[in-house]
Amino acid sequence: MSTSCGNPNAESDALMPRRRKFDRSKLCIKCKINQGNIVIRHAVYCKDCFLPMMYNKIKRTIEPTINPTPEGPRKKNLNPSGNLVIAFSGGLGSTVLLDVIYRGYFSSRRPRGETNTLSEGKDPKKERVWKEGKVCYVEVCGAFHGMRDRTDDVRRIVERYDDLEFVPLRIEDAFDESWWESVDLILSPCSRNGTPLSALCNYLSSLPAPTAIPSTLQTLTRLLLLHTALSTHSSHLALGTCLTSLSISLVSLVAQGGGFNLKEEVQEEWSPDSLSRSKGRSVRVVRPLKDIVMKECAMYAWWKGLEIVGQETWPGARQGISRITKDFIIGLEKDYPSTVSTIARTCAKLSPKDHAVGTCILCNRPAQPGVQEWKNRISIRSLSTDPPVSSEKASLAPYLCYACHTTLTSKSSK
Amino acid sequence: MPRLCALCATQRPILKRPKTGQQICKTCFFHVFETEVHNTIVEAQLFQPGDRVAIGASGGKDSTVLAHVMKTLNDRYNYGLELFLLSIDEGITGYRDDSLETVKQNQKEYNLPLKILSYNELYGWTMDSIVEAVGRKNNCTFCGVFRRQALDRGAAMLGVDHIVTGHNADDVAETVLMNIMRGDIARLGRCTAICTKGEDTIKRSKPFKYTYEKEIVMYAYFKHLTYFSTECIYSPDAYRGHARSFLKLLEAARPSAIIDIIYSGEACEVSEEATKELKERKTCKRCGYMSSNDLCKACTLLEGLERGMASAGITDRGRKQLEASGPAPDGLRTIPFFQMNAQSPSQSAPDDGRDSAPPMPAVVGVEAG
Repeated sequence: MSTSCGNPNAESDALMPRRRKFDRSKLCIKCKINQGNIVIRHAVYCKDCFLPMMYNKIKRTIEPTINPTPEGPRKKNLNPSGNLVIAFSGGLGSTVLLDVIYRGYFSSRRPRGETNTLSEGKDPKKERVWKEGKVCYVEVCGAFHGMRDRTDDVRRIVERYDDLEFVPLRIEDAFDESWWESVDLILSPCSRNGTPLSALCNYLSSLPAPTAIPSTLQTLTRLLLLHTALSTHSSHLALGTCLTSLSISLVSLVAQGGGFNLKEEVQEEWSPDSLSRSKGRSVRVVRPLKDIVMKECAMYAWWKGLEIVGQETWPGARQGISRITKDFIIGLEKDYPSTVSTIARTCAKLSPKDHAVGTCILCNRPAQPGVQEWKNRISIRSLSTDPPVSSEKASLAPYLCYACHTTLTSKSSK
Repeated sequence: MPRLCALCATQRPILKRPKTGQQICKTCFFHVFETEVHNTIVEAQLFQPGDRVAIGASGGKDSTVLAHVMKTLNDRYNYGLELFLLSIDEGITGYRDDSLETVKQNQKEYNLPLKILSYNELYGWTMDSIVEAVGRKNNCTFCGVFRRQALDRGAAMLGVDHIVTGHNADDVAETVLMNIMRGDIARLGRCTAICTKGEDTIKRSKPFKYTYEKEIVMYAYFKHLTYFSTECIYSPDAYRGHARSFLKLLEAARPSAIIDIIYSGEACEVSEEATKELKERKTCKRCGYMSSNDLCKACTLLEGLERGMASAGITDRGRKQLEASGPAPDGLRTIPFFQMNAQSPSQSAPDDGRDSAPPMPAVVGVEAG
């Protein structure tokens, strides 16, 4: 990219003065007393004001999603229909989320149903919102040879938070019939030799391209979390996706043909089947940090002294769609600082064009009609004009959404 | 045993199709390329027999191949279309002046009437002079806005019902990504439509909407078509360049990403709430073209150029500066009034006294008939 502005009147060697990051003063814009410690989108905050500001932003994001039905004109008490599962990946976002949720809704409040002293009365704001809270971690080292198992590191972090139960899972549990039985899902019997781990490795090695592996692991992780939440009678599954990560995942989803599910990527109401939905058995997936940028999360973690376990880099991840998108968006944000917020805002103004026809059997998200017909229409892959003869083997293709079908069929350029 | 073409299984393959990854022979490549465009046209019901269609021709690979394919399909499948070539001269030295020579060559090769309309005669400014006034960061905005109007005006002068442009799948995918990253909801809702039609604008379609840019290049190469292959000298600084480089990375990782992005764009629409925020379509008070505001973008940009405030149509500060300096003085150059001529050129256009359009430049080449 050329860096010249093209203005013929400017000296070619002139240095442009560095643009000031804040317009007026170095004082905190809230208290106007303290020297600022951090600049968030041109606004200066001191540490004392930043932390309450962040709690309030997260509260404003999560609290409208707590009650089963949206609030009417009168604000009601927070009364979810089940428990809470916090998904923990070891990354910055989920570490911050765990800390914020614990401080705001568990440690600072008494357990539900406990009678208390006369002085506090039955003030609902002093009572825990969810009766039980669990922290769920999915270990993916089984998918990659030689990757370190971090379950114990994560356990050490989570055990610092009393009253939250640690639920460790492994990615190969998705291929373990006994795990599915433990979460009350009865599968059709199938003959398979070998362990769940070998089944996982066979599945990953049969994928058509390396780019399919991160997408597949993401889908499997999401399904494990959702079923864990359902089986633990949890009404909410909280993910630590910050605004930066959300924008990256939205563009990544568009790049994989998942434009139909943009709304679900922000917040979704999931049930395993229509029968469960009719009985009110569902899990609401929420992202309480979706208005918090990565910088704010980083400063929170720093000031609170939180230990970040981190995430292992997956081999070949650099070629994955998500990683390419992440590098691009973060690079673009440096030249165009409002990119991340613009992407999230734009996607929030979009809605699916067609009605869904059922759910995808792989990712359990709404599936759009006519995926196969569209793909066949766009590309000619055979000279025969006869309709394809249905084979004896049942095909998954008609039951998949576009993104999952692409993941399972789209080859790399090599 | 040598590998055979994945489609006909009779000849040796000579290329790997970027879109599907299939290894196919030249004959099959021509067949699938042309047939897919034909299927796109038929599925979208783009044309009716007797339609007069202007092909936006720049001399580049997309429009050269488009002219070739449209002529081929028109003859092969009897679309019954009357085809014209329409070219816009933006006045970019070393780029457009050379590419127009290619268009003139195409005109002779395909025996189609050609009309060239220039920015200079329509607006009084060339892109070279605009870049001198504006710099290299926002000049593509001027070019895009001016070209769109110029195509409509040229098509109205030719009396055509329809304009087809060579926008390919890569262009559409880049536009989807760009509009998401820039928050342009209005354009995002329109950019994946294969055919756009407004009340006062000529129907405009993209038959190459699902055609990969790489395949267009391959088609031109194997068919030995002549085209001008230099990129616009001002394009490296455009915002679209970011979307393009991102798209190329995605394509390298997963070739189907281009089509997948188009599918994502088609799967969404602007939500009902957001639609209420969109500006309603009006008519420009100065030139009569379609507009979201009292003055269309082209008139705003031109006024800014004429009054020495080139950023008037680009930034909020420029717009305020223009508003603060009062109304436009008399005698300022303006764009001639636009009237979409629904009649054929053999019938005279209605004269309402307001039409100050410049005299129609001569149509170059043999009249179709």
